[in-house]
Amino acid sequence: MFREAPHFDVRDYLRKEMMPHFLCPGCGHGMALRALLWALHELKIDRDKLAVVSGIGCAGRLSAYIDANTFHTTHGRPLAYATGLALARPDLHVVVITGDGDCLAIGGNHLIHACRRNLKLTCLMLNNEIYGMTGGQVSPTTSETRLTTTTPHGNTEPNFDACALAIAAGAGFVGREVTRHVPKMKELIKHGLQHPGFAFIEVLSDCTEVYGRKNDMGSSSEMVMRQKSEMRPSAYRDSVDEPFRSTDLPTGVLARNARPEYGAALRAAAAARAAK
Amino acid sequence: MNEQSNIAASTREPVAFNAALAEPFNVLIVGVGGQGVIMVSKVLASLAQAHGFEVKQSEVHGMAKRGGTVFSHVRFGPKVWSPTIAKGEADVLIALEWAEGLRWLPHLRRDTGVFICDTKRIVPPFACRSRRPGAPMRYSTETAEQVSAYVSEAYAIDATRMAEELGNDRAANVVLLGALSTVLEFSLPEWERTVTSFVPKKTIAVNTAAFELGRNWIAEAKTAPPSDMPARSAPTQTNYTPRLEITDAWCKSCEICVKLCPEHCLELDADRIAKLVAPEKCTGCRLCEWLCPDFAIRVHLDAEQPALEAAR
Repeated sequence: MFREAPHFDVRDYLRKEMMPHFLCPGCGHGMALRALLWALHELKIDRDKLAVVSGIGCAGRLSAYIDANTFHTTHGRPLAYATGLALARPDLHVVVITGDGDCLAIGGNHLIHACRRNLKLTCLMLNNEIYGMTGGQVSPTTSETRLTTTTPHGNTEPNFDACALAIAAGAGFVGREVTRHVPKMKELIKHGLQHPGFAFIEVLSDCTEVYGRKNDMGSSSEMVMRQKSEMRPSAYRDSVDEPFRSTDLPTGVLARNARPEYGAALRAAAAARAAK
Repeated sequence: MNEQSNIAASTREPVAFNAALAEPFNVLIVGVGGQGVIMVSKVLASLAQAHGFEVKQSEVHGMAKRGGTVFSHVRFGPKVWSPTIAKGEADVLIALEWAEGLRWLPHLRRDTGVFICDTKRIVPPFACRSRRPGAPMRYSTETAEQVSAYVSEAYAIDATRMAEELGNDRAANVVLLGALSTVLEFSLPEWERTVTSFVPKKTIAVNTAAFELGRNWIAEAKTAPPSDMPARSAPTQTNYTPRLEITDAWCKSCEICVKLCPEHCLELDADRIAKLVAPEKCTGCRLCEWLCPDFAIRVHLDAEQPALEAAR
């Protein structure tokens, strides 16, 4: 028999006095925030034991809406703040919300070293391919030929594959999902939260008002629909329909490796020194 | 347990292999992928082979991951030509799932066939006609009584529940093997030896218990009146009324819910706020709730009170 369990109510996890949030109509970040809160709800993570650290940008603002311990830090440095926090308080679940510019441009250095250390953190990078809050400048993930305010004739720089970067730098868990699939995104974030090491999750989000408008990508619903044609589950990477899928965007869990966790290693080394 | 099974063995009336098996004996095993249809047929085939019969087994497999229909024809006798059983020629039909059993009933001999069916119901996705939770399903509504009127000898056995009570619902197929053992003239030690050789070593104890359980259940069903048979009908349904709670102050008129609703039951009103305009079409799939970037929509599924009470 179908039995209706009380469904997750995202409003229980929001600071309602801050709502409605400042994001533009149709912005995908809201769906990503829902997936994160849903994952936290399903894992029954105590909000007193949850620390959300965010940087600057549209994604950076999300921490302000979460009813938990939140920390809005400087541009590009949420991973650095979170590293200190996770080392000092290993009992906390530290989640970093960051954007593509925050994480890959200004904070690119922090990202690769966080991946290298493999400290237990969950880094949720919301990639909308643009600096939306500051007026639509080109970001490290902006696709080639796309129009932005700083590339009025189309972007000529090659863009980053953030997941490939994180895998190469040694992140323990790497995954990617699009905002269209909220339950799948929730599952991916749950895997990331449970991973005993650095979990890097890239969420492909839509910037409708700046990026979508400038590049004539249609309404927000059309942008959400486009995600479907441009994504490809990682399970189908070698499937026979490969020639029929134009874009190469595998989603799902892309890498998972059991490297030693930095915090535990550091504490063990400190304990060994103290015992001498 | 052993004592009981001996009693059962002495009182049972096994279906004689027809006239010293001049003709092949036909056993059809059907079920849903993952239930263990192939394992049952392998046990039977190897048993018949060890008995000196020629055995032909033909099956459809590979459906295990897909929950699809799986069947296996087992024919054994002094000489077997065709690998498959024609319609109306199966001597025994073993079904691991209720609807699959009914689907294959025409293959059973009407006059002498024995039908052994698990009452386990697995509703296939395409039997769900609507996304609405608790919506009516196109699943067989026949009861065990109706079916037993159609065949000469029928047993509706709740094997999955019996196996669950033993601690491993995957042993349901062995419960049915136990039931099958009462209608075939192979000796009990032969059966047990073959079954234990086919199950994983760690599960021998539970499978032996499951085999005994199935065997004794048939023996009891033969002596007890058929009203003892579990007469479960289609899975109970509860009707839900979806209700949308829209926080107007949070809605930013992005139209994602309006454009992406699979039933097209949302629209923007004069103030460009999302509104449910066709509540009768709403299935409560929650897509609008999930995709609303502004957390303005909340879907409630209100159970219809009488249906809920009836289901209890």
